[in-house]
Parts: sequence; structure tokens; C-alpha cells
Amino acid sequence: MILSNIQLKNFRSHKSLNLNFSSGLNYIIGGNGQGKTSVIEAIVYLCTAKGHTVKTDGEAVCFNEDRFEIAGIFRGETENRANVIYTKSQNKKSYFKNEKKITRAADIIGKFPVVLLSPDDHAITQGTPGERRRFIDSVISQASETYFRNLLDYNKTLLQRSSLLNQIKDHRSKNMLSELDAWSSILVRTGSYIIKQRKRFINSFNEYVSQSYALIMEQAETPEVFYAHLGNYTGEDIEKEFERQIARRKEEEIARGTNLVGPQRDDFIFSLNGNNLKTYGSQGQHKTFQVALRFAEFFYLKEITGTEPIFLLDDVFGELDTHRAQKISQYLTNVEQAFITVTDLSNFSFLKRNETDNVIMLKAGEVTYA
Amino acid sequence: MQIAQPLQVAVEELSKLPGIGKKTALRLALFILKSNKESVDQFIKSLSELKSKLRLCSRCFNLAEDELCQVCMSQKRDKSIICVVEEASDVIAIERTNEYNGLYHVLGGVLSPLSGIGPESLKIKELINRFNSENIKEVLLAINPDTEGETTTLYLAKLIKPLGIRVTRIARGLPIGGDLEFADEATIGRAVNGRIEF
Ligand SMILES: [Zn+2]
Repeated sequence: MILSNIQLKNFRSHKSLNLNFSSGLNYIIGGNGQGKTSVIEAIVYLCTAKGHTVKTDGEAVCFNEDRFEIAGIFRGETENRANVIYTKSQNKKSYFKNEKKITRAADIIGKFPVVLLSPDDHAITQGTPGERRRFIDSVISQASETYFRNLLDYNKTLLQRSSLLNQIKDHRSKNMLSELDAWSSILVRTGSYIIKQRKRFINSFNEYVSQSYALIMEQAETPEVFYAHLGNYTGEDIEKEFERQIARRKEEEIARGTNLVGPQRDDFIFSLNGNNLKTYGSQGQHKTFQVALRFAEFFYLKEITGTEPIFLLDDVFGELDTHRAQKISQYLTNVEQAFITVTDLSNFSFLKRNETDNVIMLKAGEVTYA
Repeated sequence: MQIAQPLQVAVEELSKLPGIGKKTALRLALFILKSNKESVDQFIKSLSELKSKLRLCSRCFNLAEDELCQVCMSQKRDKSIICVVEEASDVIAIERTNEYNGLYHVLGGVLSPLSGIGPESLKIKELINRFNSENIKEVLLAINPDTEGETTTLYLAKLIKPLGIRVTRIARGLPIGGDLEFADEATIGRAVNGRIEF
């Protein structure tokens, strides 16, 4: 599946932009502020109904405008059109697939699989556990609609339950405590499912991580991902341990008015040759690991969904040494469709190029195809 | 834009309806304007009676024309089983299947601490009271299976089971997060028949 065309209206710095893409590599070239990342972000919007740099959709609307529109055409076995329209004054976002309005996120995520490699990925190996959970959850969610739905349910349960914990803190009643029991049971049920799925995922994902790591670094470093959860129990013991901890920490949860037990507190640990990357890794090893994780995501989604994801590489080559950049670039010549943003192609003479590469230059709102 | 005042008011009112934008409201208003007087009067009468003649059944909180709804008054229903639903619209959805012959109880919502809806805000006390005044042997929980609905189902099961009444729930034939109201009749029919013991 490839994205063959995109049209932007009042999206970030682009008043109006129409771009044609080809299969294989699409280079988007432009200086700072020419809107390269905006094009990448628009593609992310088409695939996930959300942006990756903006905190709110309103930030993505052109200055002094009220509404942005993104339209894309995907070509594969069939042709699919996707549209995202956001109106700031009403804070209303609509997503359309083939002109049909789609209201549930679960009907969007994973339907046009996408993998984004960007400088923000430093947060995956160097940031908070929340960043790691977000990464892992987004990979599984693109591969499994059921997982994504359960994750949404779980997050809703957390919100409802913490609201109830706060109410109990203020004025406790017997009714409220039995209601808390019901919310706890649902939390354990959905949360245990999430833990089990994450465990299963990490088991198979590790192989993809090793393969991807080897692709970038030929020297023998062995990467591994570990999943740290609720006492690291397995099978039926996950539910039991979850219930035990919920029961044990009930009063503490009420006193603090917040959820203290569950997969929302899990972490993922990355290791190289058995050493914790976070403690012992060099900057270079972190970077390589981040790239390897994104490639692993790409291969995993391709295998599981049966559709090769669109691969987005935003501002990545400036951060890598020539050798690794070359290795990556070499591999990318095989993918169905990738988008690569760079400021100036002449700085990257080492990149492996094909004659069929689509080279798009953005300058002052003008588009030229080289 | 200059529009005659009565038309403007009608458009304003019609566009308050769910799913009706200004454009559709204008089309509807112009259609009504063109219709003959009798049919417009009939239309107004039906709307006004909808509000004046309907109320909630004092026993099950289903829509009713009298003190009790048609289901509660019927001699043909199985009076030993109560099907618990979220809203009156769910009663209509289940009745359409012709697969269920017992009584109903409309909760008027589901548990949602975020919206300030606790057990006291729902018709739960009224449900428990029915176990004293009626000869109920089974409660069938038919609440939409989303997060809040599942929690409410669990809460009610734990509350009712110790009272010595059989508690069942509808089979998970419904899609996760699917509303009874929007499911097709065959699916609801299967769900109501394939009850699961708690
Ligand atoms: Zn009734």
C-alpha cells in the first residue's frame, strides 16, 4: 500500500499544498521552516487521526485560520481515500474514509499502518516509562484492534475509578465501597488482558529487534527487551496478583485518590549484551537501539497485518554517523514506500539512491520535483 | 440574509433536533410550510401528545400511557423474570425481536463516577424493592457491554445474587462497545436467548 497523493489546506505552515508521491523513496527537501515535518505530520494524521508534534489539533491550524483539511489517496489492491478535517472554533475533528465518516478510533488505527522514526524517539530509550509504554502500546494497537479497544476501555476505567476513589476520600459510604469493588474487578479483568498481550508481544518482538539491530550494526551486540509488570507473574497468577495488590493497597488508593496498581505503571527495559541500556549505553548505542526498535516495528507490522507500513523518517540522517546512515539507506531501497526529510541532499552524498526516487523540494510554499 | 421571522424561528427549533443542521432544518421548515393545514395540525398534535400522554411506568420506568406500562399490565408476560436495561429505547429494541416474554426494569443510565452517577442516581433501590412486592425468580442483565455497562452489570450481580434470585446476563453476541439500540434484531434475539449464568 502506498500514499500516492496528499492535499493540505491551512495545515501548519501550508496554506495550500498538493504533492504527488511515488512508490519507493520519497525525499522531501527544504530548509528549516519550509514545512517538511508538516508533510510528515499530515501523513501521520491520515493514518492515525492524530498529529505527532502538536499537543492539540488547534496548533496544527494555519495562523489566522479556523480549519485545516488533509486529503490523501492510498493505492494498494484497492484505492482508498482518507480525509481529516478539523475546525478550531468548534474544536471538532472529523475523519472520513472513502467519504464515509468514521467515528471510532478503533476503526482508524492500524488500517493504514505507519511507522515514524524521528529525533523524538530518544524518549523511548532515554525518557520516562510512560514514553516506553506509549511506544509498545502503539505498535500492538496498530497490529490488533482488540488490544486497542481494550486499552481505550482500560484508560476509561482508570479515569472512572480514580474519580470514585476521590469521592470515597471525601465521604465514604457502603454503596460507594461496593461500587469500587465492581470497578476494581473490571480493572483487573481488562488490565490482566493488557499485561498478557504485552507479554506475548514482547516474546515475539524480541526476534524482530535482534534482526533489525543486526541490520544496522554488523558487530555482535545482542539487544533484548524485557517487560517489567506486577511482580512479573505469568498466566492465571497475573489476575490473582493484581487482585491481591488491589486489596492490599485499597486504603492507600483511597487516601491518595488515585490508581496505584496495574499495567499503567509497567515499564520496558532495554538491554545490550545483558547490560541495561539506560545505565550503561553510550549515545551511539541509544540511537542505534531507537532505530532498531522502529525497524522492528516496521517488520513486525508488515508480518502481522500483512500490509507493509508506510515508513516515515523525519530528520534522522543528521543524527547518525555515515556508516549507520548508509546501512539504513541501503535497506530502505527495498521498502514499498518511505518518506525521508532532509535539509539538503548534497550533505548526504553517502545515501544509497535510485533513479526512480521521487525528490520533492519545498521552498517558500513552492514545490518542485527534481 | 433576510428570512421571514416565523421561518427563522421554525428553523431555529428544528435544528435543535439531533442530527439536524441548519440546512436540513430549512428544508424541513419549507416542506412543512408547503403541506396542507390538516397534515400540519396532525403533526403538531402527535408531537404535543408525545409529551403530554407519555410518562414513566411507576413500576419498571419504561415509557407508559398510564400508571403502568403495557408490559407491566399485560397478562401474557412471564412475571417471574425481569430484564434490566439502561434506557427505555433498549426495551423497544428487545421488544422488536419478539424473543423475550418477561418484564423489564429501566435503570435510567449506568454507573459513571466521572459524571457523578452512583448507585443512588439509578433505579436500583426500586429494582430491589420489586423483589419484595413481586414474585421474581430471575434477573436478566441486558446492559450495553462497554466499560460503564460492564461495571454496572457486575455491581448488580453482586448485589442481587445474595438475595437468592437467579442472575443471568445476555450472551456476548453483541459487538464490544455496541449499543443494543443500534444492533440488528437477529443479534439482539440471539443475545437475549443465549443467557449466561453469573
Ligand atoms: Zn412497566
